[in-house]
Order: sequence, then structure tokens, then C-alpha cells
Amino acid sequence: MQGSSLRRGSIAGLTAGSGSALPALLLVGLFFIVPVVALLLRSVTDPEPGLQNYAALFGSGTYVRVFLNTFLVAAVVTAVTILVAFPVAWMLAIMPPAYGSIVFGIIILSMWTNLLTRTYAWMVLLQRTGVINRTLMGLGIIQEPLPLINNLAGVTIGMVYIMLPFMILPLVGTLRAIDPMTLRAAALCGASPFQAFRRILLPLSLPGIAAGGLMVFVMSLGYFVTPALLGGTSNMMLAEMIAQTVQSLLNWGLGSAAAFVLLVITMALYALQLRLVGARRTGGGL
Amino acid sequence: MLLDYDRLGWLRVALVGFTAAVAAFLLLPVVFIVLLSFGSSRWLAFPPPGWTLKWYEQLFADPTWIDAALTSARIAAMSAVLAVVIGLFASFALVRGEFRGRQLLRGLLLTPMVLPVVVFAIAIYAFFLRIGLAGTTIGFVIAHTILALPFAIIPITAALEGFDKSIEDAAIVCGASPLQARLRITLPSIRIGIFSAAIFSFLASWDEVVVAIFMASPTLQTLPVKIWGSLRADLSPVVAAASSLLVGLTLCLMIVTALLRRKLSR
Repeated sequence: MQGSSLRRGSIAGLTAGSGSALPALLLVGLFFIVPVVALLLRSVTDPEPGLQNYAALFGSGTYVRVFLNTFLVAAVVTAVTILVAFPVAWMLAIMPPAYGSIVFGIIILSMWTNLLTRTYAWMVLLQRTGVINRTLMGLGIIQEPLPLINNLAGVTIGMVYIMLPFMILPLVGTLRAIDPMTLRAAALCGASPFQAFRRILLPLSLPGIAAGGLMVFVMSLGYFVTPALLGGTSNMMLAEMIAQTVQSLLNWGLGSAAAFVLLVITMALYALQLRLVGARRTGGGL
Repeated sequence: MLLDYDRLGWLRVALVGFTAAVAAFLLLPVVFIVLLSFGSSRWLAFPPPGWTLKWYEQLFADPTWIDAALTSARIAAMSAVLAVVIGLFASFALVRGEFRGRQLLRGLLLTPMVLPVVVFAIAIYAFFLRIGLAGTTIGFVIAHTILALPFAIIPITAALEGFDKSIEDAAIVCGASPLQARLRITLPSIRIGIFSAAIFSFLASWDEVVVAIFMASPTLQTLPVKIWGSLRADLSPVVAAASSLLVGLTLCLMIVTALLRRKLSR
């Protein structure tokens, strides 16, 4: 910041330049970069050099279906999360803090609760004889229990539940940054509430929606736990397939190839998100 | 008028109602699991036919559950300490260093947070199989430290960016050594960031499932691995009891965080 002579003191110190990042760099280099690169090399060398793993991956109907299903689930989850999160973030941005802090507390509690605990709760809630089916039948809304688990519906409910905080919290920031005067001006000029929403509020919050939506989409693409527990065998997702290929089938070559595809897609979308938000603001809710 | 809470009219009723419904949706599984853990039904019927503590008794009578919890706590504590110390040093370089590729380095150190964890899990598992660290506590701690590092770096760099460096310089002008100035002026000033880093990195390891599933051995398993195994086998109510204790722990952590933040920011 100020390039005065005062800086000299710290330049001599241990933590001045890049040196103090060395332990982190060593750790990440040796135990993150090296293993990941070795894995990717394995996709073209195991069991023998060549591209046969990728050919198997894209040539088989089973694996192509896993890819399509992964994108479908991620897209549905993202769309539902945005639709649910927007009104909540809107209210949180303008609500009196006394009520708002209760809702924030609930969001943090849900977010910090152990992932398996939350998924377990949904497994019990959504099962055939679970509370939700029994309540709906008791109210006479449905006659037969709905199939809510081991299918797309189960994964969507469970994933939206996990992703909501990641969408709501950044969106509140975006909405709070909008000057209320712009909407007052729109009303003064005769805009109906719907017009003001469509022409002012929505466009102004679009960067936040896009950034949050992209983050949710990327996180959903590679999610393992919730789809594995709430989804069915007929709609397996990529992360589960990778784990199974390696763990049960011991087919490291194919698993590595699938991991490489997932890595490339994730990194490309992450780079896109960085361009949308700027590198500094991607810490999410930390 | 859409951003005036007092002038929303009928829309406010609808939006407040919707927000309350979403809050209830977020709270539902947490409350449900706690109630269920006291229910007497083996088949998780709800509302339960009666109330009991037997699932908690079974939980505490089973040494594998206790072992798993202690293993988790040990690994999470070691990973959190390592992540915070390494992250603290890295943050000084990321915030104050003037070298080429600083942004690139930041991106690199934050990558473990972005990369799908299953990719890292099989990569580190294969690597550790080769060098003989698979299924060891050291292996667990290394893998979890890498996953926790971004959660340490983000709050610490944020705190460091908000700290006025001229205060540290003033201490040096007044005769403190650079190290003294950093230990006695800078570190206390960014303590909220360091504290958040410790909480988040602990949780990153404590809750971690995917790497743990691969790394676990019959003699070394963390709590999430134990829960995962039970979920795949059957939906035993003992899991509900274990889960409720985890919810209680989360609540304690939230309260401690809120209190400490209030105290530290004074």
C-alpha cells in the first residue's frame, strides 16, 4: 500500500515475500497436485497406454446415461434452488433484523449440521411409510404412497435442502446492495409492482443469481453422498459411478478417465464463475 | 416499493409466508431426527408409539461408536491446527507479498475446495496406497488438512486485509522487533479470522465423508464412516441417537461462536 521506508522492517521479516507460503505450497503440491496428475495419467496408461478408457466411457450407453443424468439432476437442483432461494433472500435483505436473525440462525444451523445427519433424516422422512407420505394420505391428498426416495424426486429434495444456504446467503448481499430508490423511482413513474420486479429488481439481481446458480450447479455435478443415499440405481450420478468403478470394480483406468472428465467440466465452470464474480468474492458464506 | 418492507402490501404477506415455510423446511430434518432418537419404534415410526432412551444406551454401550467419535475428534483437531498454522503463514504471503503469480497461488491453494471431492479422494487414495499411508492416521490428517486449508485461508486473508498494517509498522518504529510486532499486535488484531478459520477447518474434517470412506481401514474409521456404514446396512435408530448428539454439538458450536465473536470484537 504505502511504499515508504516503513516497509523495510517487514521485508527483512520471515513473512514478507512469498516465502511464508512455502509450507502450504509444498503440502498442496506434494499431496494434491501430484496425486491428481498421477490419477489423470493413469486414465491413459492403465491397463495399457492409449485412449481406450475414454472410448469405453463415451462409447457405452450406460456411462453416457450417467453423464446425462448428472447434468439433468444438477440442472433441476439449480433451477429449484434459485426459485426457492430468491424470495427468501429478498425478504432477508429487507426484513427487520429481529426476525431476519431468526431465519439466519436456522440457515446456519441447517448448514452446519452434519451432512450425513441431514441426509439420514430425509431418508426416513421420504420413505414409503415415512412421515410425509403418511401425512399426505392422512389429509386425503393422495391415496397411494408417493415414490419419494431412490429416484429423481428424492435426490432433488435432498440436494435442494443442502444447496439452499449457498444460494440464499450470497443473494442477500446482492439484494442489499440494490438502492431502494431505484424501485421507488419506478413506482413514481407509474410502474406496476410486476413491471418493477421484471424490469428493475430481477435484472439488478441477475449477477448474484448467475454466480450463485453456477456455484450450486458445479457443486451438484460432483456431489457424492446425497445422490448415493437418496437416488436410485437407475439414475446414478457421476461421482457415485467414479467411486464404484474404483472401489468395487477396481477399474482404475476407467474411473480415472471419468474423474478427468468431471475435473475438466468443473474447472471450466469455475473459471466462468470467477469471471462473473471476480476472484475476490468467491468464498461464499465464509 | 419492492425493497420497502413497510410498503409491500399484500406481497409482504405472501413473501413472509413463503420465507417462514422455507425456514420450516430447513428446520424440519434437524428437529425430526432429534425427536425420532427418543422414539421407541425400531422401524422409525412417527409419531413414535412411546419414548425411550434405549438407542442412546445402545450407542454408548457400543465401543465402535465411541472409538469412531474419538478418532474423528483426534483427526479433526490435528487437521485444524495444521490448516490454521499453514494457512496463517500462507495468508501473510497472499495479502502482503509482492511477487508474481500471487493471484495464481491463491487460486491454487483454494482449488481443493472447488475440485469435486471424489476426484481428490480416489487420487490421494491411490497415492497413499503406493507410499503406504492408506488407512493411517497420518494419511487421514494430510488429506483432511488439504481439504481444510481453503477454509482457513479465506477468513484469515479477509481479516488480514482489513487490518491496517501501519499499526504493526508503528510498533516496529517504537522499538519492537518485526516478530514481536507481528505476535503482539497483528495476531491479536486478526484473532476473529483465526478463530473462524479454526472452526471451519475443524468442521471440514469432522464432517468429511468421501475421502474418509476410501481411507478408512477396519481398525481406523471416523464417525462419518461409521454412520455411512450403518445407513447402507439399515436405518437403525442408533444412528438417530448419534445424529442428535451431532446436532447438539452443532448448536453448542454456534452458541460458543456467537459468544466468542461478541467478546473478541469488543
